[in-house]
Amino acid sequence: MTTVLRVILILMSLLILAVMMRRIRHAKARIEDSMFWVFFALLLVVFSVFPGAADWLSDLVGTMSTANFIYMLVIFLLMVKCFSMSMRISQLETKVKELVQRIALDDNKLEERMSELEKREKKS
Amino acid sequence: MSDLLIIIPAYNEEKNIERVVDHLREQYPQFDYIVINDGSRDATARICREKGYHLLDLPVNLGLAGGFQAGLKYAWENNYSYAIQFDGDGQHRPEYIQPMKEKMEEGYDIVIGSRFLTEKKSRSMRMLGSSLLSLAIRLTTGIRIKDPTSGMRMFSRKMIEEFALSLNYGPEPDTVSYLLKQGARVAEVQVKMDERTAGVSYLNPVNASKYMIKMLFSILVIQNFRKRDKRYSKKEGKQK
Repeated sequence: MTTVLRVILILMSLLILAVMMRRIRHAKARIEDSMFWVFFALLLVVFSVFPGAADWLSDLVGTMSTANFIYMLVIFLLMVKCFSMSMRISQLETKVKELVQRIALDDNKLEERMSELEKREKKS
Repeated sequence: MSDLLIIIPAYNEEKNIERVVDHLREQYPQFDYIVINDGSRDATARICREKGYHLLDLPVNLGLAGGFQAGLKYAWENNYSYAIQFDGDGQHRPEYIQPMKEKMEEGYDIVIGSRFLTEKKSRSMRMLGSSLLSLAIRLTTGIRIKDPTSGMRMFSRKMIEEFALSLNYGPEPDTVSYLLKQGARVAEVQVKMDERTAGVSYLNPVNASKYMIKMLFSILVIQNFRKRDKRYSKKEGKQK
C-alpha cells in the first residue's frame, strides 16, 4: 500500500468515527447501529497503521496487491451490511403496515360504537 | 392506586403469565401492575384479556427495550413514583419488591435486585460474562455493581421520565453504567431468583456472545462519548 492510500484510509476512518460519535452524542443514532461503523473504521485504521497485517492477509487470499485486498474487503463488508439492512427494511415495512392497519381497524370499531351510542341517545 | 408500578414484559409467555400475575394479584394486591404483551404470537394476550389483567397489548414485537419503555411511558403518564421491571417468566420473586422499595426511599435513582451482593457467584460461562461486565463498569465509573445483568431493576420518578422519553436507554447494563457516570445513585439489594419453569430462554451461546460483545463495546467505548440531555442533568444539579 502507498502512503497516500494509507493516509486516505485513516482520514476516512476518522471521519466515520467522528460523525458516528456525534450522532450518538446528540441521541440521533442507536448504539446498535453505530457498532458496525465503528468496527469498520477501526479495521481500516488497523490495516493502514500496520500494513504488514494487510500484506499477509493479501498473500493468503492471493490478491495481486494489498490495495486490491482492501477494496475487496470493503466491498464484502458493505455487501454484508447492505444485505442485513435490506432484511431490516423488510421487517420494518411489515411492522409499519401492520400498525397502520391496526390503527385503521381500531378507529373503525371506535366510530361504529360512537354512532351506535348517538343513535341510542336520539331514541331516548 | 399505589405509588409503585410493576411492569411485566411478556413475549410468548402463555405457560407462565397466569401463574406469575395470579400470584402477584393474590399475595401483593397493594402494588399496581401492568403486563406488556410484546406482540406475542401465542395466547399471552388472550389469557390476559380472559383473566382481566391490566394489559398493554403492543400490536407488533418491539423487543424487551421497546416493550419495557412502553411500560415506563404508562408509569410516567399515570404519575407513578416508582417502577420495577419484573419478568413474565416467573424468575423474579415478588417478596423482594418491598425491600427494594424501602432501599429506593433512602434516596436512590435505581435499585438493582442483585443475586450476588452477599452471595458468591457460581463458576460458569454465564457468571464469567457477568463478572466481565462488572469489571467494565468498574473500569469506566469506579463503582462496583455486583449483578449488572439482573433484570430486576427499580426506577425512581426521575429515571422513569428519562427512560421513557429518550433514545439509547435500554434496560441493560450499559445504560446503568452511563447513568452511574453521570452521577446517578445506584444501589443493590440481595434477592433470590428462580430458574424459569416453562418456555424457552432467549439466551443461547450465539445470542449470549453477541450480547456480551455489544455490552462490553458499549460500556467501554460508546458510553464515554454520550452527552446527557440538559433537561435531566440540570435537575440533578438543582438537588445538590
